[in-house]
Amino acid sequence: MDYRNTLTTCTYCGCGCNLFLESLDGRLTGTIPCKTGPVNEGKLCIKGWNVHQFVQSGKRLTKPLLRKNRKLEEVSWDEALDFIASRLKHIKAADGPDAVGFFASAKVTNEENYLMQKFARAAIGTNNVDHCARL
Amino acid sequence: MAGLAASFGSGAMTNAICELEQSDTIFIIGSNTATSHPLVATRIFRAIEKGAKLIVADPRKNQIANFAHLYVRHKPGTDVALLNGMMKVILNKGISDDKFIAENTEDFEAFKQVIDKFTLEEASNISGVSEEDIKNLAKVYASADNASIVYCMGITQHTNGVNNVKTLANLSMLTGNIGKPGTGVNPLRGQNNVQGACDMGGLPNVYTGYQSVTLGDANKKFAKAWGVETLPTKIGLTLPEMFSGIENDEVKAIWVMGENPVVSDPDANHVKKALEKLELLIVQDIFLTPTARLADVVLPGVSFAEKDGTFSNTERRVTRVRKAIDPVGESRQDWAIIQDVSNAFGYEMNYESPEEIFDEIADITPSYAGISYERLEGPGLQWPCPSKGHPGTPFLHKDGKFTRGKGLFHAIDYRPPAEKTDNEYPYLMTTGRVYAHYHTGTMTRNSESLDFEIPEGFLELNPADAQELGISDGHKIKMASRRGEIKTKVMITDRVEKGVVFMPFHFEETNVNKLTNPAYDPIARIPEFKVCAVKLEKA
Amino acid sequence: MIDTIKQKISGLLSDASVKGVVALKTANGHVTPCVFQKEDDLDMLSLGDMQASGDTRYPLNKVLITIARQYPDDVFGVLVRGCDERGLYTLYRLNQLDPDKVVPIGFCCPEELAKACECKKPYPDDPVAGEKTKEIFQNRMEEIEGMDISKRFSFWMDQFSKCIKCYGCRNICSMCFCRECSLECEDLVSKGSLPVDIPVFHLTRAMHMADRCIDCGLCEEACPSDIPLRVLYKKTSRIMNAEFGFTSGIEKQEKSPLSMLGPAPDN
Ligand code: SF4
Ligand code: SF4
Repeated sequence: MDYRNTLTTCTYCGCGCNLFLESLDGRLTGTIPCKTGPVNEGKLCIKGWNVHQFVQSGKRLTKPLLRKNRKLEEVSWDEALDFIASRLKHIKAADGPDAVGFFASAKVTNEENYLMQKFARAAIGTNNVDHCARL
Repeated sequence: MAGLAASFGSGAMTNAICELEQSDTIFIIGSNTATSHPLVATRIFRAIEKGAKLIVADPRKNQIANFAHLYVRHKPGTDVALLNGMMKVILNKGISDDKFIAENTEDFEAFKQVIDKFTLEEASNISGVSEEDIKNLAKVYASADNASIVYCMGITQHTNGVNNVKTLANLSMLTGNIGKPGTGVNPLRGQNNVQGACDMGGLPNVYTGYQSVTLGDANKKFAKAWGVETLPTKIGLTLPEMFSGIENDEVKAIWVMGENPVVSDPDANHVKKALEKLELLIVQDIFLTPTARLADVVLPGVSFAEKDGTFSNTERRVTRVRKAIDPVGESRQDWAIIQDVSNAFGYEMNYESPEEIFDEIADITPSYAGISYERLEGPGLQWPCPSKGHPGTPFLHKDGKFTRGKGLFHAIDYRPPAEKTDNEYPYLMTTGRVYAHYHTGTMTRNSESLDFEIPEGFLELNPADAQELGISDGHKIKMASRRGEIKTKVMITDRVEKGVVFMPFHFEETNVNKLTNPAYDPIARIPEFKVCAVKLEKA
Repeated sequence: MIDTIKQKISGLLSDASVKGVVALKTANGHVTPCVFQKEDDLDMLSLGDMQASGDTRYPLNKVLITIARQYPDDVFGVLVRGCDERGLYTLYRLNQLDPDKVVPIGFCCPEELAKACECKKPYPDDPVAGEKTKEIFQNRMEEIEGMDISKRFSFWMDQFSKCIKCYGCRNICSMCFCRECSLECEDLVSKGSLPVDIPVFHLTRAMHMADRCIDCGLCEEACPSDIPLRVLYKKTSRIMNAEFGFTSGIEKQEKSPLSMLGPAPDN
């Protein structure tokens, strides 16, 4: 039996409430608000209380998809990565680094946003990085 | 954000959320706080309980407005007129904080000239708020010892968004309500890690911590840290510019991480066409969103429950995200996906963990320099946190010492919204959120409890308009703007006034962004979601 | 006190009389609900006192129900205060937990906490640690009862209208285990807009808790709008007591008068 509560931060609004994701034997079973979270002090809104639910949705993507004959098909990681790398190299060579753009995200972590703009700037060589938070 | 940065030198929320409890007046404008930032509303309810006065200005009478000492319903897009009217009253009555202005601010005279020219009568005519109410708003705000301003997308999502924000900054400086606990100008970030995405350099003009890409020093520092000869110094394209770039054949490839612009962006049909035109569209997400369906390649990332890392909330607080369960299927850590692509592309990355990435961020970002995973055990830290022993910064611009030196007044005249009603499109539509959903609904609509609570989109319509249109509650209506048309259910309510309708934007089946106007604020490049002219017809 | 409790848990784990003990621990700088399965981990044990006594209490019985549904044949220990023990008794009565599969490890609340809770029985029947303090008088309720009727009515309506419909009061509650909840029944409460239907939403819950609420106060602590829910439920429970002489969770083998309404069961 493996019962855990993992302390984390709500992924919805900008309040950044602290909560525990409750799991039993590797499956999420619930959400518990953290009493000592400085913003929420043991409280959550309806979204926070249910934040564990979408995670195990049957509609989650589980494999990379690549468009072949106009349809998206499941492929291996290697195939997807090679495809991206060669296309990006080609476009950079043909049209220059500024032909590539990146949408960073308010939904992923700081570390991931950092890495994306690092890739854009250091590897591709463009400052075409923006996020959808204007929206 | 651009507006506050220009006024104060930093675009973030000036004060901590919990400080709202110490305010004796709270002015909410353009924020449906109880719905969009419920845990901020908690503090506001508490402040009221302790005797604070709440004043609310919003075209739509939302839940928290029911607790207001004074609620005014101004017309959508007339914020500057209303606020300039308030400042007119403050100057006329001589209740401004002249000492604060003299010691800590600049360009006051230019600002004053604009206000001098403007009349209370004009303010009232434009905004639809009575002169009496404008006077009262001004008095309550200006006479408080500690007054906070709270705003959200209702202020920024306009063609005048930046001016709206600068006007709020003017108001706070005019009365010295900035730089101490329980005061300030506080933008509530719509999405969970918007603050973090900006802090991390997810912007075309800056690296992490708002270090400019055009300045030699930062540019050299980053080039060295990242092991490259040079980094581009030309400011990159913003999102709307990237879309125009696609049309002009200048942009050929886009990589979208965790976003869904087909549903979230204005004039959705147009966005879809642009993305379809790309040579290469990479979408990294956890669901097959309408945007992912257009992609050439879709990369399965993981949800927040399956990853380690950090978020930065609306009050600049950095807190930990921790992995609770293993990734589903073959989905991969999003940082690992970028690293894998980068290595395949030929730029080497060798991180073992998000913590290693974070340490690199702290190394090259002064405002994050004192933060480490170890220090984030417990309540987290609010940046700026420049060194290991630094306790973090709950409120900015202490004692009128603004980040940019002196606080800058801006002379801002009222400009009407980009789109007007006419005989053909007689209603003003504004958009916003409902309590059970978030953004484009990718996550919330896949959550059974939330989907149960609100399963579909609807249009809020005033009873008088409903009668004129001969439509009753729950019936279908056809709504069209100059750009598109949708059908939706109607909810009859006097939360909206006659002539104004409201629609939440979370539902792809009734995607209200097929109608919205992509006219942008010239500086912040935020589209005008909040005002759009529509016509209605029984369906 | 904490050492006595550690010893007790340690004993239960070492002779394998339980599979695990549901309790609290300190981790990541916060108090966390957890299950102890190894004696070595007991260093992290917490009783839920971060800055003040009982300020980080969590619904441990709810955790126990989650685990017991998956592991019905195993015995688990659980850390209980007076209110938690009342909860266990009620959950036994409602067939949500099997008394033979639960080992309560009880401790008494200090007077400070008992006062803050205005608790009727701030101790379990058979505590492992702590001194029993006496019942505390219910001042908050008296204060509200003291208002004249129209003032009292507007007091409650004002409070209820702050509700943001988070369902936290229900979600945090160990006594709320129904798969179908009347708060989600559209014949009673309409969906989809705020403010929520008042007072129906809150009174529906109060009715449903009449013979269940064990006055732990976690609902009020979870309410983002600071609605004095605990007082509301204390009132319902006072009515139950006055009308039927019943207080939920006070006796181990109790029967609820409400379960006797309607047609008599066959057996
Ligand atoms: S629980 Fe609600 S208020 Fe808190 S961060 Fe999540 S969405 Fe925001
Ligand atoms: S916890 Fe409070 S806000 Fe949430 S549903 Fe219950 S009464 Fe309403």
